[in-house]
Amino acid sequence: MFSQPTTLEEALDVRARCGPDLLPIAGGTDIVVAMNRGQLRPAGFLDLTHVRGLDAVRHENGRYECGGAATHATLSRLPVEALAEAALSVGGPAIRNRGTIGGNLVTASPAGDGCVALLALDADVELAHASRGRRVVPLREYFLGYRKTALLADELITRVRFPKDWITAWYKIGKRGSVNISVVCCAIGRSPTGLFHIALGSVAATPIRAPHAEEIVNRDGLTDGAIAEAADAVRRDISPIDDHRASAKYRAAMSVTLVARLLRRIRDRVKEPAR
Amino acid sequence: MTQNIQTIDVPIAEPFAEPLVPPSQTPYVERPHGPVGRSEDRIDGPEKVLGTALYGADLFYGRADCFVSVVRSEPAHAEIVAVDPSAALKMPGVLGVYTHRDVRGTNRQGLIVRDHPVLAESRVLFRGDAIAVVVATSERTAEDARRAVRVDYRPLPVVADMDAALAPDAPRLHPDGNIMGGKRIRKGDADAALAAADVIVSESFCTQTVDHAFLDLEAGIAHYDGRTLTIHVSGQWVHEERRLIALALGLPLESVRIICPATGGAFGGREDISIQIYLGIAAIQHPGKTVALRYSREESMRARHKRHAMRIYYTVGATRDGLLTAAKITVFSDEGAYRSTGPAVCRKAASHATGPYRIPNVSVDVYGVFTNNNPTGAMRGFGACQMAIAYEGMMDRLAARLGIDRLEVRRRNLIRSGDAVTTGQRIPIATAVECLDAAVRRLRQCPPPRPTDPHKSRTRPPALPPHLRRGVGYSVICFGLGYGDGFPDASRARVGVSDQGRIQVFTGGVEYGQGLITMAAQVAAEELGVSVRETDVVWADTEQTFESGSSSATRQTYFTGNAIRLAASELKEQLLDIASKLLGVHPHELELRDGCVVGRFDPARSVPLAEVVAQGRARGYSLEATALFKPRTVCEDFDTGQSPRAFITYLFGSHIAEVLVDIETGEVRVDRYIACHDVGRAINPQSVAGQMAGGATQGIGMALMEEVVNRDGRIANPNFTDYILPTFRDIPPVECVILENDDPGGPFGARGIGEPPLIAATPAVLSAIADAIGVHTHTTPCTPQRVWELLHPDEAAVPPDARFSLAPPHARLER
Ligand SMILES: Cc1cc2nc3c(=O)[nH]c(=O)nc-3n(C[C@H](O)[C@H](O)[C@H](O)COP(=O)(O)OP(=O)(O)OC[C@H]3O[C@@H](n4cnc5c(N)ncnc54)[C@H](O)[C@@H]3O)c2cc1C
Repeated sequence: MFSQPTTLEEALDVRARCGPDLLPIAGGTDIVVAMNRGQLRPAGFLDLTHVRGLDAVRHENGRYECGGAATHATLSRLPVEALAEAALSVGGPAIRNRGTIGGNLVTASPAGDGCVALLALDADVELAHASRGRRVVPLREYFLGYRKTALLADELITRVRFPKDWITAWYKIGKRGSVNISVVCCAIGRSPTGLFHIALGSVAATPIRAPHAEEIVNRDGLTDGAIAEAADAVRRDISPIDDHRASAKYRAAMSVTLVARLLRRIRDRVKEPAR
Repeated sequence: MTQNIQTIDVPIAEPFAEPLVPPSQTPYVERPHGPVGRSEDRIDGPEKVLGTALYGADLFYGRADCFVSVVRSEPAHAEIVAVDPSAALKMPGVLGVYTHRDVRGTNRQGLIVRDHPVLAESRVLFRGDAIAVVVATSERTAEDARRAVRVDYRPLPVVADMDAALAPDAPRLHPDGNIMGGKRIRKGDADAALAAADVIVSESFCTQTVDHAFLDLEAGIAHYDGRTLTIHVSGQWVHEERRLIALALGLPLESVRIICPATGGAFGGREDISIQIYLGIAAIQHPGKTVALRYSREESMRARHKRHAMRIYYTVGATRDGLLTAAKITVFSDEGAYRSTGPAVCRKAASHATGPYRIPNVSVDVYGVFTNNNPTGAMRGFGACQMAIAYEGMMDRLAARLGIDRLEVRRRNLIRSGDAVTTGQRIPIATAVECLDAAVRRLRQCPPPRPTDPHKSRTRPPALPPHLRRGVGYSVICFGLGYGDGFPDASRARVGVSDQGRIQVFTGGVEYGQGLITMAAQVAAEELGVSVRETDVVWADTEQTFESGSSSATRQTYFTGNAIRLAASELKEQLLDIASKLLGVHPHELELRDGCVVGRFDPARSVPLAEVVAQGRARGYSLEATALFKPRTVCEDFDTGQSPRAFITYLFGSHIAEVLVDIETGEVRVDRYIACHDVGRAINPQSVAGQMAGGATQGIGMALMEEVVNRDGRIANPNFTDYILPTFRDIPPVECVILENDDPGGPFGARGIGEPPLIAATPAVLSAIADAIGVHTHTTPCTPQRVWELLHPDEAAVPPDARFSLAPPHARLER
C-alpha cells in the first residue's frame, strides 16, 4: 500500500490509523539501504515528501523552526554553523538533497550527524499524533537507546526547533572527504548566557551530550585549564566500542581532542576574556 | 635516444577541462603522422556517455527467461554433510537446484592450477564458496529459494590468518599443507654482504587485503541451444574463460561462445571466472531458455578474489654513502582459500622485490600461505605494488638513518640504462632517474593547479595551524610488462577491410574502460593511412576474434598493438599490390594516405581505397590478414631466480605527493599530486593520462583508506558503506607528466601504462606522511586511527609487534 498525503492532517491521520503497517518514508536514504540489505521489507509506505510545508524552515523569536522533512541540503544553507556544517558533511549532494532531518532523528544512528549538531543546539523535537495532539520533547531526552527513540509508532516528527544565534562549532573525523560516516563527531553550542552544550557522535549507543565536560566549562569558563579539564572529563561521558571503523581507544582520544579543539575555536569567536 | 615530454593535468576534483596536449617538440625518425600519438576520442565514448552501451546488467534486465542464484557457504571452513534442496524445489516458480553432481565436466576452475571446485563437493574453504545453483522464474523467487536450500555442515576450525595457517597444529587446507609454494631469488651473497655493511636497516611491512570495487557489478545472461552455450558476461580474457568453462562443464571447446558486453572496470577482478560458470550450469540444464544472474555488491565482494595482504620483512645493507650492498627479504602472502593467480603474484613480488634499485647481493623468499579468507589473485599491480611500499619505505628509512637526502639516496642506487634488475635482466632503456627528475622539475617549476573546489579553497588555511604538518613524498618504481617468466604470452589479431573501404580490426582483448579498442583503431589506422573514424573494432567474442591474451599485466597495448600493427601491414601489402596494378606504379613507391593509395613521388597518381578493395575482391585477394605477436621470455631459474629476460620490457615511473596531516586526529589530506611515467610512446596521451590519474587514485585509496576487514573468515565490510573508496574530495588534480622514450619492440615505440601508476602512488603517499609526522609508516591503509597510533604507539589498538608474529629468521639485525 502506498499513501501520499499532501496535508499534515491527512498524514497524521493515516499514521494514526495504520501505525507501523505503513512505514513513513521521506528521503528513503536509510530505508532503501535497509531494504537492499534485506533488513526491511515494509508492507507499504506513507510518503511524506508531498506534505505541504513539512520541508520548510521558518524563523521566529530568535529560533528556527524546521519541518520534519527539511532536507540536509536546506539545513546546510542556514547560518547556524554547527548544523550547516554537519548537514554539509552528510553523504554526497544527492543524499543531501533527499535525506531529511526527520529521517536522521528517527534512524537515530549513533553516527547521525544531524542528531549531534541539534543536541549541541539543545533543540526540541515536536512529535505529533492525529488525536492526542503534539508533544514537544527536548532532544536530550529523545534518544532512549541504540536506535530507540521517544517517537511512538503512530506519531510523526513534525518540527524541530533550535536557537538561531548561538555560537557553535562542528568537527567530524571520518576516513574520507565525502560520503563519510563519522568515526567521531563533535558539536558544541554556546548559548548567549554562556552555557555550553557539548554533543558527540559515534562514541556511545546513541548520539550523546557530555554533561561532565559541560559542567566544567559552565563553571570555570574557557580558560586553558578548564578546556583541558573538560576535554578530559568527556571520557566519563562516552562509552565507545571497538569495531571495524575504529578502536574504542581512538574514539576516546578523539573525543578529548575534538572537545578541546572546538572549545578553543568557540573561545576565539567569543573573544570573551578568560574568567 | 629521443625523449619527449608531455604534461597533462587530469583534474579529478572538477569536471574534465579542455585537455592540454602540447604538440610534440622532438622529431623522431619513425614519428607516426596519423592518429598514433593523438588524443583521439574514445570510439566507445559516445555510446557510454549517452547510455546506449549495453552492460551486463542491461542484458540481465532485458532478455531473461529465468533467473539464477548461487547458494554460498556460510561457514568459512566446513565439511558439507548434506545439501537438501527439497524445500526450495517445492516453491512455486523454482525450476531446479543443481549441485556438483549435476556438473558433467571436471567441476574445477583456477587460472593457474585448477584447484577450486566450481560447486563445492565435500568441503568449503571460504565463506562464499559456491555450493549450488538455483534456477527460478523470477529473481526474487531464485533468491528466496536460495535461502531455502538446506546445507548441513560439519564445522572445521577456521584458519583466519597466516599466523593460524603456519601454526604447527593448523588444519591442512590443501593436500600439500598450508604453504602454497613460493618463489626465491639468490644473487650474490646477501648474508655476507649484510655482515660487511656499514649500516643495516630492518623493517616489517603489513599490507591490507584490497577489493577491486569495479562499479559495474557482475551481471549477464547465457543461452544453450543444445549445441552451443553462449555466455554474455564481462571478463578479462574471453578465450581462457571459454577453455575453463568447457573443461569444467564438460563441453567441447567449440561449443562454448563467450561475448563480452560493455564493461565498467575490472582491475584484475574479472580474471577469475565469476558468474559465467554458474550461468553455464543453469543454461545447460534449461536448453532454449535465456538464464540471467547478477550479483549485489555484497555478493560480489563475498564471492570474488582479492588483492593479497602481505607481510614483508625487509633488511638492507649499505655503505656509509648510501650505496646499497645487500637486501634480504621474506614475504608471506595471504593466498586465501584457493590459488587463483597467487603463484604468479608470488613470482611477480619476488622479481619486483627490490624495484628499480641496483643491489649486488639479494636474497628473496616469497611464500603464499593458504587461509580460509577469500582467494586472492590478480589485481592491478599484482604483487609489485606491495613490494613498492616496502622498497620505497626502505629508501626513506635508509636516507633518514644516514642523514642523506631522500632523492639523493635514490639517485645513487637507481638503475641506469644497461644495468640489470634483481633477476639479472639487463634493461637497455632504464629511465627511472629521468622519471624522478621530470617529476621533481614539475614540482619545483610549476605552481600547483589553482584550487577550484570552493570547499577546498575555503578550508585551505593561509598559514598552517599548529596541529597541521605538511609533508612531501617521493616514489620511483619499475614494472615488468606482460606475464613474463617464460609463461606463454601471445596476442593474435585480424585486420580486414570492408567493401566500403572501412578498416575492420578483430581482437580478443577486452575493453573495460582503459581505451583498448581506441588504441587498436589508432594503430590499425596509422598503419593503413586512414582515420580512426574509418576503423571499426570487433572485440572479445570467441567466435569472431582470435585469442589476444588477457587484458591485464599492462600488456594489451604492447602485445595486441603489435599484433594489429603486423596484421595491418600485411593487409597493406595486399592493398598496395592491387593498387600497383591499377596505377602502374611499383608497390614500394606507393603509400596509403587519407583513405587513398597515393604515389609517393607522384601524388597525382592516386586511387581511393574502396576501389582498391573492389578490384582486390574481383582478383581474389583475401583482403584480410592475421598476425601473431609472441615474443619469448625466459623462465627464472628455480634456485636463483635469475633470468636474462624474465619480462619482455620494463616500465618506469615516479610520483610525488604533498600531504597535510592533522597530528591530533591523524587525518591525512593529499594536497598536490604529480605522476610521471615513461610509456615509450603515448599512442593516446589523454588515455594515458586517464590511466595515470585512475591508478594514482586507486593507489591513494590503498595508502589511506581501502581495506577488506577479515574477521575469523568473515568479511566485516562487504559493502561501500564500510569499504572506503576515495571520492572526488580525496584526490587533488593529478598532474600527469608523460615521458616518451621509444621502446624498440613496442608498436610505434609504445610500452604500456595500466598498472604502474597504482604501484607508484601508494609509497609516495606513505612517504609524504612520514615526512610530515617524522614517523615511518609500516601498515596500510594509513587511516586516521593508524596515523594517530604511529604518533601514540602505546595507545595502539593492536600492539605493533603483534602484527608481526611471523618473525623471520633475519629479523632484528639492525645496527
Ligand atoms: C550514501 C549515504 C550516505 C550517508 N551519509 C550520512 C552521513 O554522513 N551522516 C548521517 O548522519 N547520515 C548519513 N546517511 C544516512 C541518511 O541519509 C540520514 O540518516 C538521513 O537523514 C535520513 O533521512 P531520510 O529522509 O532519507 O530518511 P528515510 O530513509 O526516509 O527514513 C528513515 C526513518 O525515518 C522515518 N521517518 C522519516 N521521516 C519521518 C518523520 N517525519 N516522522 C516519523 N518518522 C520519519 C522512516 O519511517 C524511517 O524509519 C547516509 C545515507 C546514505 C545512503
